[in-house]
Amino acid sequence: MVTSRELLGRLIDEKKLTYCENCGMCTASCPLARAIPETYNPRILLQRVIFDLDELIKSEEFWLCAWCYKCTERCPQGIQPTEIFLLTRNLAVERGYIPANPRAIMQEIVRSGRSIPVFEDFDDWREDYGLPPIGPTISEEALEEQRKIMGEEFLRRLRT
Amino acid sequence: MSLEYLLYPGCVASVRELGYEVSMRKVFEALDIGLEQSNDFNCCMPACLVHSFDYTRGLALTSRNLCIADEFDMPMLTLCSSCFGNLSRAKYLLDTNDDLRRDVNGILRQVGKEYRSGVKIEQVITALYNDYTIKRLKDRIRNPLEGIKAAPFYGCHIFLPSRYTKFDDSEFPQKLDSLIKVTGAESVDYHEKTSCCIGCGSFFGEISEKAAAILAEMILDSASKQGTDCVITSCPFCIMQLEMGQIRLKSEKGVDYRMPVMHYVDLLGLSMGLEPKELGLDIRRSDMTPLLEKINPP
Repeated sequence: MVTSRELLGRLIDEKKLTYCENCGMCTASCPLARAIPETYNPRILLQRVIFDLDELIKSEEFWLCAWCYKCTERCPQGIQPTEIFLLTRNLAVERGYIPANPRAIMQEIVRSGRSIPVFEDFDDWREDYGLPPIGPTISEEALEEQRKIMGEEFLRRLRT
Repeated sequence: MSLEYLLYPGCVASVRELGYEVSMRKVFEALDIGLEQSNDFNCCMPACLVHSFDYTRGLALTSRNLCIADEFDMPMLTLCSSCFGNLSRAKYLLDTNDDLRRDVNGILRQVGKEYRSGVKIEQVITALYNDYTIKRLKDRIRNPLEGIKAAPFYGCHIFLPSRYTKFDDSEFPQKLDSLIKVTGAESVDYHEKTSCCIGCGSFFGEISEKAAAILAEMILDSASKQGTDCVITSCPFCIMQLEMGQIRLKSEKGVDYRMPVMHYVDLLGLSMGLEPKELGLDIRRSDMTPLLEKINPP
């Protein structure tokens, strides 16, 4: 299996990161940069992927991207910040930097197969509205296949 | 020609937005669109979360759902734009990158599955627009919503990035506007039409909620200034974010927009003459009364 670093090169063509002209189209398009500019700025994050990767992955701010893809759609140089930030998170996870909230939601996905927990008698509620049951978790078979696809390493990272 | 889909329910609609699921099922039944169920699906595996942990295994987990749809030999229908975005992204990446597809299939083989391209993925909005078509929808309108000003809120993953979704123009989308016009309502043009609710990144507690409320205020303010009666979304996550944003703005700043936020199927259902209760409009966070009274004066 390839490493995240290799994937970065394979999917994005790592050289292309240096094509960034600092024009700021990504930041101008970013909803988070509009709402919380003091915390989130994709243009600066992208520069840090190039020049300051080892420190960047210790921070939590690049986990805030809501992957709306507006920056990716508009970048005049064809850089894909959205996918680059996903791969950067992979590097962070490989080195053990996992913020608490994403870890908790991932643990819920491992447990129930869903990112939103469903309480035990939730289907009674759905039935009242004439909706078919969904069960407290996804099916046992689906959960088992999910575990196999995630693999030992993936599950171990979540536990530690 | 009858349409039939394999329903991919996703978590936001089937857990948090039951009113929307009720409405969507009712409207599709009234349009004679068939919905097949499977209890074998796993989560769409939000890219921003699961693919952040392991890009390739994340893609394999998402693609497992595409394999199931392939076994059913039916087009998939998602209730949520986020699921649509994740599944479309996986399909695009696997269809255009042989190395990635080989790696993903290597993982899927361990559970006896293989990704083959050709699965068709639709979302409620894309299915109505692409498959059912505006022309056929026009014939189903019994109660045209004349005088109602409806502001389309596109959300992101229905059309971005265009290379994954292939649905609408990435800078100037018009398809939700066209669907709204079919109902007889006026489609309101406003500044924040293609803004983002940041629902898909909303897992950082306070800072996410704060950012979401700031964006919700911009969106609602811009829509209100045009005399909007309701904001119409393509996605249940946008409904949830804009409603929760209103609740927060009311309690923190004393600003009460009282703006009904609903999905397009709700508006369509009303224009087809379906009853508000049949559409689950009585179990929403928004108070729909002013809108419903404007549509059908008491």
